[in-house]
Amino acid sequence: MTSSTTNPSPTTTRSHWRDYPRFLWQAVLESVEGNRVFYIWMTMLTAIFLVGANAWAVQVRDGMQVTNMSDHVSWGLYIANFTFLVGLAAGGVMMVIPAYLYHDEEMHDLTLIGELLAIAALIMALMFVVCDLGRPDRFWHLLPGLGRFNFPVSMLTWDVIVLNGYLMLNLHICGYLLYMRFLGRRPNPKWYIPFVFLSIIWAISIHTVTAFLYCGLGSRPFWNTALLAPRFLTSAFVSGPAFIIVAIQVMRRAMGSTFGNGPIRTLVNIMRVTILINLLMVVSEVFVEFYTGGTHTSAAHYLYFGIHGHNLLVPWIWSSVAMTVTAAILLLNPKVFVRPWMMNVACVLAFIGIWIEKGMGMVIPGFVPSVLHEVVEYTPSLIEWKIMAGIWALGLMIYTLAIKIAINVFRRSPLAAKAQGGTTEEQLLAS
Amino acid sequence: MFTPELRPQPDDVAARKPGGRWSWMQAVIIILGLLAVAGLAVGVLQAADAAKGTAKSESPVLPAKTNLFPVVIKRPPGPPQVKTSLTNFQGQPVLVSCSSCHTTTKPNLENRSAADLDQFHQGLKYQHGNLTCLSCHNSGNYDTLRLADTQTVEFADNMTLCSQCHGPQRRDYERGLHGGMNGHWDLTRGGRTRNTCINCHDPHTPKFPQVLPVLPPRDRISIPAAHAATTGSTAH
Amino acid sequence: MNHATPETETSTGVSRRTALKGFGAMLGAAAFAKAIAPLTEWTRDLSVDQFLQKHYKELSHIDLQIILRRLEKETKENYGADVSIQDYKPQPGVKFGYALNLSVCIGCRKCAEACHLENNHDRPSHQSYIRVFEMSKGSLDMEKGNAHYDHPVPQKDKFYMPVQCHQCDHPPCVSVCPVEATWKEADGIVVVDYNWCIGCRYCEAACPYHARRFNWSKPQIPANEINPNQSYLSNRVRPQGVMEKCTFCLHRTRNGKLPACLEACPTGARVFGNLLDPDSEIRQVLAHKRVFVLKEELGLKPNFFYFFDV
Repeated sequence: MTSSTTNPSPTTTRSHWRDYPRFLWQAVLESVEGNRVFYIWMTMLTAIFLVGANAWAVQVRDGMQVTNMSDHVSWGLYIANFTFLVGLAAGGVMMVIPAYLYHDEEMHDLTLIGELLAIAALIMALMFVVCDLGRPDRFWHLLPGLGRFNFPVSMLTWDVIVLNGYLMLNLHICGYLLYMRFLGRRPNPKWYIPFVFLSIIWAISIHTVTAFLYCGLGSRPFWNTALLAPRFLTSAFVSGPAFIIVAIQVMRRAMGSTFGNGPIRTLVNIMRVTILINLLMVVSEVFVEFYTGGTHTSAAHYLYFGIHGHNLLVPWIWSSVAMTVTAAILLLNPKVFVRPWMMNVACVLAFIGIWIEKGMGMVIPGFVPSVLHEVVEYTPSLIEWKIMAGIWALGLMIYTLAIKIAINVFRRSPLAAKAQGGTTEEQLLAS
Repeated sequence: MFTPELRPQPDDVAARKPGGRWSWMQAVIIILGLLAVAGLAVGVLQAADAAKGTAKSESPVLPAKTNLFPVVIKRPPGPPQVKTSLTNFQGQPVLVSCSSCHTTTKPNLENRSAADLDQFHQGLKYQHGNLTCLSCHNSGNYDTLRLADTQTVEFADNMTLCSQCHGPQRRDYERGLHGGMNGHWDLTRGGRTRNTCINCHDPHTPKFPQVLPVLPPRDRISIPAAHAATTGSTAH
Repeated sequence: MNHATPETETSTGVSRRTALKGFGAMLGAAAFAKAIAPLTEWTRDLSVDQFLQKHYKELSHIDLQIILRRLEKETKENYGADVSIQDYKPQPGVKFGYALNLSVCIGCRKCAEACHLENNHDRPSHQSYIRVFEMSKGSLDMEKGNAHYDHPVPQKDKFYMPVQCHQCDHPPCVSVCPVEATWKEADGIVVVDYNWCIGCRYCEAACPYHARRFNWSKPQIPANEINPNQSYLSNRVRPQGVMEKCTFCLHRTRNGKLPACLEACPTGARVFGNLLDPDSEIRQVLAHKRVFVLKEELGLKPNFFYFFDV
């Protein structure tokens, strides 16, 4: 942002009451300015979002009967996406670990990308929950003090607390750093370092609590396993880095930013380990289910092989397995660092594979067969697909804008200057 | 923003009091951990309380069992009457009592099935084990019934007759576990009507007949009804 | 252009770029308003009183009476039926229990029909809190059960098992509700405040007996079929988007009457009463019959028992 170059020195009278709205206004201006690709991208996303908004309005008016959920399969596409996105939000910030615990300086620049991903993913997750509510107008019943908050007995209340807390945490970190940059002031470590460390721990808690939502239900044997929370965490550490790797390359191309290959290398190394651990946990689950047998394992049978001729999920889960295994093989190949196509294909495959496995492949089998062993299948209706597309479009819009605002920062960083071989305004300022 | 000079330098850390930055973070983590433990403890206690809560309400403060409302048993008024093909001057069918015919005929102790009835009582279905007609019907007085020890019982007391062989059912009936009821579970607030055996069981073919079930579920999303009908099951 | 350029405001006013952006923003806002237009039809059915209504447990006696009259009016507006909605409190010294005789049930579903009529259920879906399963003799495995049978009953090689809410002592549905819209009352009945439920369906995921139902649409009932004797926590007509469940007909049982399903059963397979009264029929079942509890290993301590006649 150009205003930073014309800011007076920090000793003149400053009022945050005046500067913060200016900062927000600059952000708004920033978000409606860009090249042609940007305008086309944002217009397309806006159109998709409007389609989704309309579909949601129809759902609220006509009731959830417009979805294909039923009393047998009472959670569907929305909660599947919610679960996956909580993992993505957690995974994005987990990359902060090598940056701060291992003093990887190049990774520092990546933490902001990860936190912005967490913000966008969390907003999407919360929107999916709201779209899944039968009575969104009664949202205020959830607010402690105003409504009745069944904390700490209900795991959903824990989820509300940790998700919103995590959102506030990341908004604070990113907002503070960007605002300080806008003011041309050095960020005070006291105001963001502890929060960054807190967000590492908190990231683990959001996905653990979301897993506890499921694995605490004794009536659903498919979910009632201790391995569910660790599985959620490892798949988050696969999907988060996968998204970031692809996002970095998009940023390079579309916004002309320069990122070193160091962060990408670190992320690929993280993924190599976590994708294998994830596969190991899947194998562990599959063994326990199929070796034990019995009625409690009908859901796993339904997922992998179908039961009594009902097999809608079978092609999905096997594609997910194939995608994840292929991604693992590609990532373990030493040539993945020199062949970008290999890395990108692996990331896309891993992302989609985890989306299937932790989304529809985890939520739906919990309901099929039902608790009274009736088999009623589920495929999302058109309205559900529309709402999902609308929320993803909004999330991508938020992420695009957030990255766009933050990207200017990197262009002025000495790392980028080193890459470009010239001086930057920052170096001029510092001298 | 993340330029080297903006990151905390080692001498910054050293310049502050030793362990200053770390204790900030440690304090936050410790406080959060304590809060989480406290929350869990409260949750466990609350759940235990909820379980105890229902137990607390189990202190037997029962209403006094005086002035109970009556339990009415739908006894038949008397012996059944048979319709003849004649009608009276009001157009109603003429009914005759059992003794109208049976005082003039000789009882046949050999009759064991409905096929043996060649004159009257045509179309009577009879399937009640190995009993003969006169196991229950009183050959001395067809307006009454008889027990196995030749004692006479009135038609209104048919339950006594059934109970001599179906003791377990009678025992359950007395406990309220057989035969259903209409009315109140709490007899201090209202009465109750109960059936006799023959309200549900035809004494000549006591086995419950097959019926067609009502109100099949029409779930919005379900297996197709046709599939269920042909296989007779949703599960194979 | 790869990076942002500042807007240079000319002295003559805004630039063409800004005008285009303003126009685009207006278009976007109008499109958004049109997109969410269906919400206006929905808000027509809502009122401020409904929106601000407090939880049942926080209502004073006067508040509750005002709400009951308002709900009666709304039922009249929505369905054209005159109804009376009361509130019945649990009686001291009572804990309800229910037992079902599997040797005697013939699977006629008259109990499900009685529930359907008594509790003002949605007509097209034949909704009922009771789901009757045709099971194969020789196995209690519900995998072999079928709720969609449509042939004369009872079949020779089958027995019949109706399943409804067990009013557990440790109800998982109560634990998981994030807003305390469902709770266990003093007489053992687990109830739902239909005006507090947010429709998240977590309780439906938690229940092992398929006892909870969600209103996927606004219930459709002809006015002349509505049962006018209603109560706030049980059989009043539920709104769209909320959960509901069997309440052991508390509008009847809290007045000492038998539940509708029991009265409709032609074989007398159902037994109901006060578990705290040692002379009650339900206590006779527990004392003298071979009783089992469905999914007992989950430790939920249900108050619904199945028994056989030996």
